[in-house]
Amino acid sequence: MSEITLINLLNGFCYGMLLFIISIGLTVIFGVMGVLNFAHGSFYMVGAYLALTIIEKTHSFWLALVLAPVLVGVLGTLTEVLFLRPLYGRDVSFQLLLTFGLLLILDDGVKLIWGAGYHSVDAPRLLSGTVNIFGTSYPIYSLFVAAAGPVVALVLWLFFTKSTYGKIIRAAAMDREMADALGINVPAVYTAVFFLGSFLAGMAGVLAAPLRAIGPSMGDKIIIAAFIVVVVGGLGSFPGAFLGAVILGLVEAFGVQFVPKIQMALPYILLAAILLLRPKGLLGREG
Amino acid sequence: MRKIIAIILSICFLGSVSFAKKDTIKIGAIYIFSGFAATYGQFAKQGLLLAVDEINKSGGILGKKLEVYFEDSHAKPDIALRAIRKLVFEKKVDFLVGFDSSGVAKSVVSYIKELKIPTIITHAATPDVTGKQCNKYVFRVSVNINQNVMAAAKIAAKTKAVKWTTIGPDYAFGHQSWEYFQKYLKQLNPKAQFMKTVAFPKVGTEDYTPYITSIMAANPDGVFISLWSGDLINFVKQARKMGFFDKGYTILMSLGAATEVLYALKDQMPTGIWVGTRYWFLANDSPVNRHFVEAYKKRYGVYPSYNAQNAYAAIYALKYAIEKAKSTDKEKVIKALEGLTFEAPAGKIYIRPGDHQAILNVTWGKTAYDPHYPIRILKPMVIFKGEEVTPPVSATGCKME
Repeated sequence: MSEITLINLLNGFCYGMLLFIISIGLTVIFGVMGVLNFAHGSFYMVGAYLALTIIEKTHSFWLALVLAPVLVGVLGTLTEVLFLRPLYGRDVSFQLLLTFGLLLILDDGVKLIWGAGYHSVDAPRLLSGTVNIFGTSYPIYSLFVAAAGPVVALVLWLFFTKSTYGKIIRAAAMDREMADALGINVPAVYTAVFFLGSFLAGMAGVLAAPLRAIGPSMGDKIIIAAFIVVVVGGLGSFPGAFLGAVILGLVEAFGVQFVPKIQMALPYILLAAILLLRPKGLLGREG
Repeated sequence: MRKIIAIILSICFLGSVSFAKKDTIKIGAIYIFSGFAATYGQFAKQGLLLAVDEINKSGGILGKKLEVYFEDSHAKPDIALRAIRKLVFEKKVDFLVGFDSSGVAKSVVSYIKELKIPTIITHAATPDVTGKQCNKYVFRVSVNINQNVMAAAKIAAKTKAVKWTTIGPDYAFGHQSWEYFQKYLKQLNPKAQFMKTVAFPKVGTEDYTPYITSIMAANPDGVFISLWSGDLINFVKQARKMGFFDKGYTILMSLGAATEVLYALKDQMPTGIWVGTRYWFLANDSPVNRHFVEAYKKRYGVYPSYNAQNAYAAIYALKYAIEKAKSTDKEKVIKALEGLTFEAPAGKIYIRPGDHQAILNVTWGKTAYDPHYPIRILKPMVIFKGEEVTPPVSATGCKME
């Protein structure tokens, strides 16, 4: 393999891991609650903006990485309790309309608070250098994001398979009525899950902040990528989100290297192919 | 029945025109006010309102006050067309200003001709709207791609770089910028080579690393970058981390000196890079510019971006043209705009009758740190005379009827 190919393997994986952290929140919410959250990208955006403010005030990226996702999680919790809860019994289109409306409100909301301009934060000093990989200097921060993906995946896996709370959530996801009958407070479980999903979106926003411009509607493009990831991997599937994110990251990176002319269409071709050949996604469950 | 309705409607329409009181001049302004590039609409609105308030405070134009209606183009041609219809038919505006995206501008100019509404483009830079698509109703007061890129080529020709490549957005603007850069640089420096490896990432690309990797692997001497707005910020942040700016490439960014980019990046913008813009607030020491920069900074708290200046200049162009025509009649104002010379913050602007393109100074410079400014400034600054960097009308493809 040539040096460029190796570097692009890394580029694709790093971007894929950022996509994974966004997508996993989307897929957790869908998998447990059946809610397709259009505002997920806006939560990502709010996470980046909160990181901006926290870093400007405290000069600490690490504080932002802890605090901003929690705040976004709280925002998600409020959304679930106040707006989504009354809609559970109704047609799915109500939820879609609600979360889409929320997207518009949040996009304009950040403009009211932070203005329409672009902002930028830098990576923490500890992670701002480069290391030598494959004979090329590679940014440490990108590797940090790439490492964050598997860590998040592992923590979530342990949580859902080993902890009691994780098992309760899975029970509620599998059979809501039975869980209810067993004395599980299902509405509380839903709220917790929405907190978790929003928390992950906020975390992705903080992680992305040093890599890109922070601006209004910055979540709109990446949410499309996240939707592709979860459809390719299988809606509601954890390993599917991981696999889908890695595949999409690599498709983007190698598309640029080998077929730059049609690179832009590749993610959509991938999406169309999956929908035609395996509509439930690569690792999606039956039904 | 249909005929009767048509007659009634046309009577109503004629009535509303003849009975409407014309004590204001209505201007419709179409910019991007939402989405990732919303900052451009905001800057244009700020510059525009500054000009309108100044003019209205000093008695308006020919005693008539200016009234402005803003519409959001969402950077999409179909929405921009709808906005034009709304402004012209509902709000009954006399003039239009605006258009950020070249893609939008290219698709609305023929409709503007049908509506016969004098329009001043203040941002979109595609040569076509004052070139092969030019028409009587469309003017531009801002620097276009040819002018900006001709200046870039002149700078590039003086550097040692031989092998050139590009990174630009994948639409009209990025491709045309590269096309003209090659054409002009080849004329100035026949030894210049243009590489096969080029990068045209789509607008709104999240991850530039594969593009940066492929450009770095091609090992160019010079890189011409026409990315702009948030895309340019994304690129600079990721390129900086990958050591792109430490390789000794000669780098030219055709819109790198846009203040919205410099304000966002602050000291993350590398120094010693050639950057261009369509207006630089420190390029001109005229009273008009000093007044504009001071008034703008006082009202909005930041140094004016090119989009603010361009919108401000467009309103003054209309003012001077209406005063010259002594009328707000559209045809008379068009005549007055053709060949108009006026003093804008960017300097003297001459609107060439042959293609309606403004001829004005074009600024480039190298990014530098200065403790007196919160952003990178240009040091040294290179100012090209408008005539030096504007192709003759015969070369634009414009045939004005």
